[in-house]
Amino acid sequence: MDIFLQQLANGLTIGSMFALVALGYTMVYGVMKLINFAHGDMVAASAFVGLTIYTQVMGQATSLLAVIVIFLLTALTMACVGVILERLAYRPLRNAPRLSAVVSALGASLVIQNGIMLVWGPRMRIFPELVPQVYWDFNGVVISMIQVIILVLSLVLMLALYLFVEKTRVGAAVRAASIDQDAARLMGINVNSIIALIFIIGSSLGAVGGLFIGLYYRGITFNMGWQYGLYAFIAAILGGIGNIPGAMIGGMLLGLFNAFIAGYVSSTWADAFTFILLILILIVRPTGILGERVAEKV
Amino acid sequence: MNNLNRFGLPVFILVMAVLPYTLNERWQAVAITFLVFSVVALSQDIVLGKSGMFNMGQALFFGMGAYTTAILNNHFGWPIVATIPLAILIPAIFGILLAGPIVHLRGDYLLVVTIGFNIVFVQVLQNNLGGVTGGPNGIFGLDSLKILGANLTSQIAVYYFAFVVLLLTLWVMSNLEKSKPGRALHYLREDQLAAESIGINTRVYKIFAFGLGAGIAGLAGTVFATQYAAVSPEAFDFIQSVLFFSIVLVGGSSIPGVMLGVFVMFVVPEIFREFATWRYFVFGFAMILAMILRPRGIVPATFGKIPKFLIKGGSHGA
Repeated sequence: MDIFLQQLANGLTIGSMFALVALGYTMVYGVMKLINFAHGDMVAASAFVGLTIYTQVMGQATSLLAVIVIFLLTALTMACVGVILERLAYRPLRNAPRLSAVVSALGASLVIQNGIMLVWGPRMRIFPELVPQVYWDFNGVVISMIQVIILVLSLVLMLALYLFVEKTRVGAAVRAASIDQDAARLMGINVNSIIALIFIIGSSLGAVGGLFIGLYYRGITFNMGWQYGLYAFIAAILGGIGNIPGAMIGGMLLGLFNAFIAGYVSSTWADAFTFILLILILIVRPTGILGERVAEKV
Repeated sequence: MNNLNRFGLPVFILVMAVLPYTLNERWQAVAITFLVFSVVALSQDIVLGKSGMFNMGQALFFGMGAYTTAILNNHFGWPIVATIPLAILIPAIFGILLAGPIVHLRGDYLLVVTIGFNIVFVQVLQNNLGGVTGGPNGIFGLDSLKILGANLTSQIAVYYFAFVVLLLTLWVMSNLEKSKPGRALHYLREDQLAAESIGINTRVYKIFAFGLGAGIAGLAGTVFATQYAAVSPEAFDFIQSVLFFSIVLVGGSSIPGVMLGVFVMFVVPEIFREFATWRYFVFGFAMILAMILRPRGIVPATFGKIPKFLIKGGSHGA
């Protein structure tokens, strides 16, 4: 039972990080029908940007205010990078064959990943201890303050995003653009601004996810974006890609699944089991858990 | 295009046939790598370019061929040449079995599932399942090529082995284009619904393309294992699959385009070794730029002898 509760806590923590990153994939896919392969590397980059803001801009301060500023500055920086990325690598290809955009996304991923390597070096860097190391022990189940912060903040951000998309006029425009871009344009929605907005939101959430990864795992490497990006992307697919609540549920489920595999089976098989789960779900339910059953468009 | 086919190919073959004698050891190794990766990229082209299936796991079949050769040679003492039939058959059968339940998936889902297969495969190798794959270190100390009792230890022998495999692949591909399955795959890529409505069994042909691509990649794996006399899991990582995927699309899924892609991706970095750390940074930009300027690839594929006025703009390669 102790292992179960411990892995439940760990799973919810990593699940909320997956979910934050998965939202970036799913929102871009929803509107542009494009797998933004660079998103994982953006997440990795945000951990490094956060590190640099901490050492260069904030003078290594770890007060609550300083931490909030680090999060905001990192999110702002990555939102700008996201908009630039969309403008340069994806917008020129909006009417090109689907696969061309995929290759462009892969290229952008290589550029960002190796850009990190060229700027911050190929070796692992240690992320600063922005949150005090406080642990609570509940009868053998250890929960850290970082875990609580990650979980609560992720849930707040996801709830905010959900309310924004479902309840506001701009959110309605986002939903309209993801159902049918051309029809949305005819209704007077500026699809270009919607896409820019999606990149701003997705990249900022990804930036928070990247900082969480740094806080939780401490070691950050330039090529970690592939790993976390792939997991988050699987989470998005599990929930039904393009579906925002689906990405949140998919992320949580994947985090829990991973934690239980690591706890009960072996962490060396975690990747294999994750993909076998994904393959099985896609065979049984090809559009994910919450995905609509759509006919193949002709 | 016609001129390229008529004169380009014989000239290319002639140049490649005498090439190893003009190169030193290091460049011979680079040339072998070029040949082997060309074969893998062309096998990927059968699945991705010719049939339009988003396959991002071709390194899996490449690795399966290489490991088949390595395991049979190292654990069971088979000569390298004797492992060839199984190194083609086992990946081909796996390709068919894996493709069976997934070919109906929509493009992006297929892409993720094939990435998944690749990652599961590498993890199986790393965890040394069955105790034959050698774990993270892989298998080393393979025999050299032996044909009719002659022990061919030189790199030039490996080069010609790779060259013959490439010629074989080119022959298969040119036959494929002129055959019934090749036409079926082409229609299927252009418009699956239309292909089905004129009586093409799309499922069978999709699985066929996967099997054929896997078998060819497996054969390339044998050459790869022979060249290094070793195999290890990271050579068949899914990053490798991403490179093959990109090469086919940037090249434009034509034979010259794909080979050009392999040349740029694997040979050019050897020339500019001092910029090794910049390699993927530059490639990334090149990929974006290539797609913006030529969305259908640098040398777009043409199919058969369709009169120009029949080809609708942009309907190719969607």
